[in-house]
Amino acid sequence: MTPTAFLVFLLEEAINGLMAGSMYALIVAGLALTVGVLRVVNFAHGDLFMVGGFVFYFIFGLLGIPYLPAALLTILAMVGIGAIFERIVIRPVVGKTWEVQLVATLAASTAINNGAIWLLGSMPKMTPTLLSSTGVKVFGFGLSWQRILIIVVTGLTFLCLHLFLTRTRTGKAMRAVSQNREAAEGVGIDIKGIALITFMISSGLIGLAAALVTPVFSVFPSMGTMLTLKAFAVLTVGGFGRVNGAIVAAIALGIVEALAIGLIGSSFTDGFAFIAMIVALLFFPYGIFGKRVGI
Amino acid sequence: MRKWLPVIVLIAVAICFPLIVRTAYFVQVLTLAGIYMVLALSYDMIVGQVGSLSLAHPAFFGVGAYTVALLVTETGVGVLPAFVAGAALAGLIAILVGIPSFRLHERSFAIGTLGLALVLQLVANNWMGLTNGPMCVYAIPALAFTLPGGVKFTTVSLTDAYYGILVVALGTFVLSFVVSSSRVGRAFHAIKENELLAEAQGVDALFYKMFAFTLGAAIAGVAGGYYATWLRVVCPALMGLPYTITLLIIVFIGGRGSLRGIALAAILCTILPEVLRISDSARLVIYGVLLLVFVLYIPGGLEGAIEGVNRLTTRRGGSPH
Repeated sequence: MTPTAFLVFLLEEAINGLMAGSMYALIVAGLALTVGVLRVVNFAHGDLFMVGGFVFYFIFGLLGIPYLPAALLTILAMVGIGAIFERIVIRPVVGKTWEVQLVATLAASTAINNGAIWLLGSMPKMTPTLLSSTGVKVFGFGLSWQRILIIVVTGLTFLCLHLFLTRTRTGKAMRAVSQNREAAEGVGIDIKGIALITFMISSGLIGLAAALVTPVFSVFPSMGTMLTLKAFAVLTVGGFGRVNGAIVAAIALGIVEALAIGLIGSSFTDGFAFIAMIVALLFFPYGIFGKRVGI
Repeated sequence: MRKWLPVIVLIAVAICFPLIVRTAYFVQVLTLAGIYMVLALSYDMIVGQVGSLSLAHPAFFGVGAYTVALLVTETGVGVLPAFVAGAALAGLIAILVGIPSFRLHERSFAIGTLGLALVLQLVANNWMGLTNGPMCVYAIPALAFTLPGGVKFTTVSLTDAYYGILVVALGTFVLSFVVSSSRVGRAFHAIKENELLAEAQGVDALFYKMFAFTLGAAIAGVAGGYYATWLRVVCPALMGLPYTITLLIIVFIGGRGSLRGIALAAILCTILPEVLRISDSARLVIYGVLLLVFVLYIPGGLEGAIEGVNRLTTRRGGSPH
């Protein structure tokens, strides 16, 4: 391979990585909000993403609704499913020890994941769109519109999330709850309402991620577990409960994985997140960007 | 003495079982229940007695199974030395992982052990040269030796395999009982209740946690070796999350830290899905929902129920306590 060809190859893998990293970032941001504001470790987070993928598959692939409304419907559906999930699983474990939270949400994850296998079978489902099958050629490699869309929309979403958290009343209340629960309650913030809104935003982000990446990747029932674990690894590296650190760590993970798949092969790439996590835990016990819980 | 009566009756029933029920299938289901009992009791050492949530237990089971399988089929080492090697390797991995993880927050310990389990499963799945990957290691020789008195024991015989695991399970139960009622067990419980306070009393929490984690891992390694020589095939799925969930449900239904509750739950959770003949995914859906209900609303598990019944019967008997 000539040096130029190698550089182009690196660029292509880096863009693939940026796409995967965008997906991780959307998923991890929701998890960071749940941990930061609700103080709940949710091990069913990745399974909710799987549910989002199937919701999109049904709306777009089976009902044949065009992409944009299908994506919006997926987000709405996930906000609703998130609200139900919050009521059944999350609310009872708020304020319990983290072991109870972990076991309860892991149990929910198992039920969701195996319920999906039971109902839908374990085969992956594909939903290519017009955007994912056409694209532009840059430096000699193809780049589908869907991939560009994923990266651009993720960037815009995080801009909106940042503005929401820093400028709006609700966003400020969420940050207040994450910083000091008792004091927030003391000044009259409705903790339960904030918890519900936080979880709905988190599920909405998952729905958005599902609608964006399902046309490029396939969906299958058991995909959630590995995503949850990677999301927690990323969260640990980025500083538990810190949204910004988590987003940076997620995008970094996407790029590292893509380069590793291109250079070494895909057999062991799923292990990278955990190796990064163990190294980070040894040298930065509070995460690279974090000191304590808080968004 | 009355306290031990149910235990003696249960052991007697367990010994007589294959003599009365001559269906090979049921003997095999109970052998599996025995393996789960060993696994759950050893898992409870770290989760129930010390109170650190490890999610790597099936990985130690898998390490034991693979070590025995590979040593025996590839290098021709005897089965019994391979067992020792399997248990030792599982214990060694526990030490290597435990030292860094225990220094961190408990939450990091849980996530770290889960990461370890996944990495080990990836190795078993992808290191084709060593483990044969998803094609599994097969044709593992059975465990066979001559007992003193000239009785030949071999796991080829289903009844022998059953009695073998019965001995291992009883041994694990007795060991767990001895550990939990000794000075070491009291240290475990002190750490579980309040680690800071225990340390202030001079209990070296890290040492005792490492001890429980390593001992539990080594016992899981033995169970894995037994599994390998019993079924004579070992696959990467052994280390998977479904086994972690099954162990969690056994420990939580039984009641964390309760040996009898866990032993009972291990038997129930193996027999019921077999008797009801439900598919694997349906079983895991039910386990998931049950685990959720137990952890949220019945935190005491079966142990809580047993104690409730005991309290009722003693009150009726007019005893002052």
